[in-house]
Amino acid sequence: MEPVRHDDRQEIASLRLQPAVLGKRRNWKKHLAAVLLLLPLLLFIIGFFVVPMLYILYLSFIDTERLSGTNAVYSIDNYVRFFTDSYYLHSLWLTIKVSLYTVIVSLLLGYPVALTMAKCSPRVRGLLTLLVASPLLISIVVRNFGWYLLLLPNGTVNQLLTGLGITESPLKLLFSEAGVVIGLSNAYMPFMILSIATSLYNIDPSLEKAAAILGASPFRSFLSITLPLSLPGIVSGMVLVFSMSMSAYVTPALMGGANVPMLPVVAYDQIIHLLRWTYGSAVSYVLLGITLAIVTIFTRMMERGRYREVFR
Amino acid sequence: MKISGKIRVAVAIVSLIYILIPLLVTIPASFTSASYPSFPPHGFSLQWYVKLLERPEFVEAFWNSAKFAFLTAFFSVLLGTLGALAIAKYDIPGKSYLVSLLTAPLTVPQLVLGVALLIYFTPMLLAGTPTGFLIAHIIICVPYVIRFVLTGLSGFDYTLERAAAILGASPVTVFWRVTLPLIRPAILSGALFSFLTSFDNVTVSLFMVSSDMRTLPLEIFSNMQDAYSPIVASVSSVVILISVVLILILEKIHGVGRLLGSTH
Repeated sequence: MEPVRHDDRQEIASLRLQPAVLGKRRNWKKHLAAVLLLLPLLLFIIGFFVVPMLYILYLSFIDTERLSGTNAVYSIDNYVRFFTDSYYLHSLWLTIKVSLYTVIVSLLLGYPVALTMAKCSPRVRGLLTLLVASPLLISIVVRNFGWYLLLLPNGTVNQLLTGLGITESPLKLLFSEAGVVIGLSNAYMPFMILSIATSLYNIDPSLEKAAAILGASPFRSFLSITLPLSLPGIVSGMVLVFSMSMSAYVTPALMGGANVPMLPVVAYDQIIHLLRWTYGSAVSYVLLGITLAIVTIFTRMMERGRYREVFR
Repeated sequence: MKISGKIRVAVAIVSLIYILIPLLVTIPASFTSASYPSFPPHGFSLQWYVKLLERPEFVEAFWNSAKFAFLTAFFSVLLGTLGALAIAKYDIPGKSYLVSLLTAPLTVPQLVLGVALLIYFTPMLLAGTPTGFLIAHIIICVPYVIRFVLTGLSGFDYTLERAAAILGASPVTVFWRVTLPLIRPAILSGALFSFLTSFDNVTVSLFMVSSDMRTLPLEIFSNMQDAYSPIVASVSSVVILISVVLILILEKIHGVGRLLGSTH
């Protein structure tokens, strides 16, 4: 056994004086309690989330088309195939395009709602929040069915449009990109609104008052105060809506069908109908990777822009 | 009010209608007397609700959904609450990384999660079983419960627990009489939220079901793809009604906006 050094001895002596050390023996019990409380959850998440996610990442590097007997061949061929096949590239481009339209529609329609929520009385704000947020808790299939009724060739919207003489023949709204954008923006706009509203609540109201006293018109004060200060909310709302649109399956499948083969629909077909698990795993990771990449690049760009705007 | 303000309010009203309209047209459409669904509905009849009750697959799917949603809520709350208590109460190294890890299933698209779980479950013989379905739903719901309970515990006064302990209460008594009542709103919200999330889920469920085990949203999903009957309107209306009742309870306990705002 090593001799106890002087400074250690001093430390031990000082510890002995602290009443907290009296509970030292209880300490391991505390650790045990923490471990026992946390362990089931931790094992569950690792066992049924982390491991499966890593497993399909591993599978995505196995090329089943070059499978020789039982020996797996490891390669990046699945990824190469994705990025050299025009069908998958078209699907990827379609997914990005539709998601961008969804973000724009959600922002343009959502911002006025967030602004109204920020400006009204707490009572009205509570009611508006409930109206905006609750559809998120109602099944997306049900919400899509409502759009079916409205967007069918002889549905409500087309009857209105032809009845009012705006269009001569019914528009193809369902099973088109427009239908998917409508469905997705309807589904995810609440996230945009809540995100922008949160950043609007944090703006000091005296700033707008000061602008008004200094002679700025409400529009001017909106442009140079409210809008720049709500940029963090806009950015996080756009990122949220974009990434959710990129990976949505139900709405593209129901509102777009075979006409709008967005990436999640393609991945689902690969796995369920064609049973190409390794390729489907690769498509899943491409979806995940591209979404993350676009979100990261966009956030960086917007942040740079935001600082320029705020500190001008 | 200035003109710009009027335009803002007008656009806001249009947007709100836009958000709510798919729900607002479905309920009237379910009372149609025609053989195809439409808005505005033709005539008035309850025939599609009667036909709904006569279709065993819908009735069975409803009970399946309710059963799985109940079990999902139970296990998510059990696992999530205990874990969140440990995270909030004890000094655990790398706490923020731990929370990120435990709530990571929220950041992965449900489609990717469904793919991963199906492929992982198949050799384990869990694919298409009720157990596999339940595990997948708990994975989606438990991160929400962790967040709600952690938020509920963020202002928690631990001197109350210590006071009870000093007065001679056993750790179990302290938990039941002091800790639990104080975080009950967060736990109830977590349970209701998990129930609704599981009851309404389609994307992950699509990978987890077998032909003899369907849930209500999946039944609606496949009916929308195959046939186009007003029965979809009536079953959708039932789902809307159930969801609205649960949402109103959730709003009373915790506030739906606060809940959803804190999850993202």
